[in-house]
Amino acid sequence: MRAIFRFGKIGRLRFVSHLDLQRYMQRAFSRTELPIAFSQGFNPHPVMSFASALAMGWISEYEILDVKLDKPVTKEFALKEMRSALPEELYVYDVKFVDDRHASMMALVKMSDYEIKIFENADKIMDAAREFLLSDTVMAIRKTKSSEREINIRPLCVYMSSQENLLKTRLMLTEADTLKPDLLLKTLSEMAGIETPRAEIKRVKLIGLAKSGRETPLMEL
Amino acid sequence: MNLSDRIDDLMTKVLKPSRYLGSEFGSVMKNAEDISVRYAFLFPDVYEVAMSHLGMKILYHTLNKRDDVWCERVCSAWPDMEKLMEESGVPLFSLESRTPVKEFDILGITLQYEMSFTNILKALTLSGIELYQKDRKDGPFVICGGPCAYNPEPLCDFVDVFTLGDGEESIHQTVDVYKRWKESGAPREEYLKMCAREVDGAYVPSLYDVIYNEDGTIKSVTPKEGSGAKELVFKALVNDLTAADYPEKLIVPYGEVVHDRIMLEIFRGCTRGCRFCQAGMVYRPVRERSMERLLEIADKLVKATGFDEISLMSLSSGDYSCLPELAHEMITRYMKKRVKISLPSQRIDTFLKDTLKETQKVRKTALTLAPEAGTQRLRDVINKGVTEEDLIRAVTDAFEEGWSAVKLYFMIGLPTETDEDVLGIADLAEKVRKAYFSVPKNKRAPGLRITVSASVFVPKAHTPFQWSGQLDKETVIRRQKMLKMELNKVKGVDFKYHEPDVSYIEAVFARGDRRLSKALCEAVKLGCHFDGWTEFFDNEKWMQAFKNAGIDPDFYAARNIDVNERLAWGHIDSGVSQAFLKREWEKAQKAETTEDCRKGCVGCGVKRYGGACQ
Repeated sequence: MRAIFRFGKIGRLRFVSHLDLQRYMQRAFSRTELPIAFSQGFNPHPVMSFASALAMGWISEYEILDVKLDKPVTKEFALKEMRSALPEELYVYDVKFVDDRHASMMALVKMSDYEIKIFENADKIMDAAREFLLSDTVMAIRKTKSSEREINIRPLCVYMSSQENLLKTRLMLTEADTLKPDLLLKTLSEMAGIETPRAEIKRVKLIGLAKSGRETPLMEL
Repeated sequence: MNLSDRIDDLMTKVLKPSRYLGSEFGSVMKNAEDISVRYAFLFPDVYEVAMSHLGMKILYHTLNKRDDVWCERVCSAWPDMEKLMEESGVPLFSLESRTPVKEFDILGITLQYEMSFTNILKALTLSGIELYQKDRKDGPFVICGGPCAYNPEPLCDFVDVFTLGDGEESIHQTVDVYKRWKESGAPREEYLKMCAREVDGAYVPSLYDVIYNEDGTIKSVTPKEGSGAKELVFKALVNDLTAADYPEKLIVPYGEVVHDRIMLEIFRGCTRGCRFCQAGMVYRPVRERSMERLLEIADKLVKATGFDEISLMSLSSGDYSCLPELAHEMITRYMKKRVKISLPSQRIDTFLKDTLKETQKVRKTALTLAPEAGTQRLRDVINKGVTEEDLIRAVTDAFEEGWSAVKLYFMIGLPTETDEDVLGIADLAEKVRKAYFSVPKNKRAPGLRITVSASVFVPKAHTPFQWSGQLDKETVIRRQKMLKMELNKVKGVDFKYHEPDVSYIEAVFARGDRRLSKALCEAVKLGCHFDGWTEFFDNEKWMQAFKNAGIDPDFYAARNIDVNERLAWGHIDSGVSQAFLKREWEKAQKAETTEDCRKGCVGCGVKRYGGACQ
């Protein structure tokens, strides 16, 4: 069976890179009594994966860690063990168990909800956000490791709303179509004709699609 | 914005933010208001190096066991961060609470290698602490310990107190004295005097007068009248390591660090008496931790950290009296938990075949051996009690057990060395190669790899070679080239060697005196920092610094010192007597060896102090 943990990443630990977090979680498992399953082969390691990598500097209350267990444990035990093995800034909110054949959490992710707290010029960004929503096409340059490509990012934003200096948005997050919140913010700043303001980006949910096609938080799938 | 937010702001701009985050699992947080002494422990190098240092882990743990003290870590800011901090006015801060270093009561600094000295000055400046000890009116007391404290003289102008020897107990004394001094309301200087009188191994340089001869040599170093400072300062000594404090949890870093594992110190000290080795002299006598205690610590640490490797640490792990039993027990205990056991700094003559078998069950890294010199004559000079036969037997055993990678460590520039000795290194490499091919093909692992590393010898204080000058740069380079040519003839050998410039500066400070403080200041002004890192070491700046300070570096590095000359560190007592060192220096020149003192006392002088050496 597999344990699916939902945890947060806040405070100073937002600057821990994804790669470092992976190694860190492996060690955290070793500090627990959880019956973690190890890979076969020359250099055995825990069979684990994250639903989605979080960029360095962003905080989150919805990170998903998917790990294989050799035998079942209770929810209470799994939570207690993981909480004692992790610092408060990597708080474990919840756990659920799925069958080994269950699709990987990584494959289920389709979208992500973010809250962007804007510290300067929030009003100008909010105006640009309204203009963004009214447009059919907003071109932006998406950089990946290998390429730089101008794409229309408008369809990649599922929705967006504002509340004072908080921008709430749901963005596509699949291998083919992804819009990252920092690119959105940069684009909005350019539309507003201002420098990208200081902001705090928080991931609040990872979203998949239920059988009915409904957008559903990953832990509820 | 408060300091923590200002630091976070820089985090988006630096290469590796994880260096400055703190809040790792196992780091200690306390409520500052409940604390009477706040102790900042600085390791003057980058986080990844600092977090690999066992001494800091031990002292962090022992201080934080107390309710009245909070010890926090401080590391040097990597040049990218350093620049940002200077630009934005962010002072050097502790990792745990992000408190400016200047606000601490005591700043403890560990002196692990001479090439970190500029980083110490840089750290003081970045903290806003007065560089010169005499100018300090407030801020923390600067207390330095560690191996380089055995010749503390080049740092005297910047340091309030040096603590020599084992820190587990003396660090508590510096804190207790601090509390009493604080209550008394006495002036700053009084704390220094109290330390000199009451703390084991404390050396307070400002309480001494140094007089020089006309030729620049030292005439005398004497305690100031009425200061209570001792004429000869003996190191602090922890006699019972089994009873001594040892961490039961460790900080688990986020990023990768140099030694990402549990370090288990199995004993301190070494009885071998290699004449070039400062650690082998100053950490005497040998004190073992009991196997029972080691297993107890290992159990706790495996649980508390989740590390998947334990390394058994000491100067010569093969000499631990129950090494096979310990290795065997640990391997069986932790196999299931997938925890590997590694034995660093192997000594070839104690390398039991059985132990080889045990370690390979878990992991098969390169076999590391340190013959140090290429010929038997020179190995006798340095008293490396190892023969060619020992070496070949050890590597043959290893090849038979499935090893195929061997690392061989040597030094170039040892006293009395000739070209022939250096060429002997290539000869030895060839013999190792032959040993590999002497093992039947179906029995040996494929892909022989021999790495030959040759460092440049640096004479160190409190060793029999303290009187020897360092070999001149031209000869070192010529011999390096010669060896390279010769090793080219041996197939499958990788030769690694270093520019001699760094070793030269190291030699200057290793045998330096108080006048060098000026050169250090000049070097820092010119931008020298992280000198132990090839990418930052700048020899031209160093030469300029010596020139600006009016110092001839050859006087310190290259000069053969007369055995009757007053040494700059003559008032420091490491336990090993100068008389013994002189005898050893004379024997070295005749290529006469001295036996391992486990086989009989060789009169090194440590016995004068009783305790563990009986």
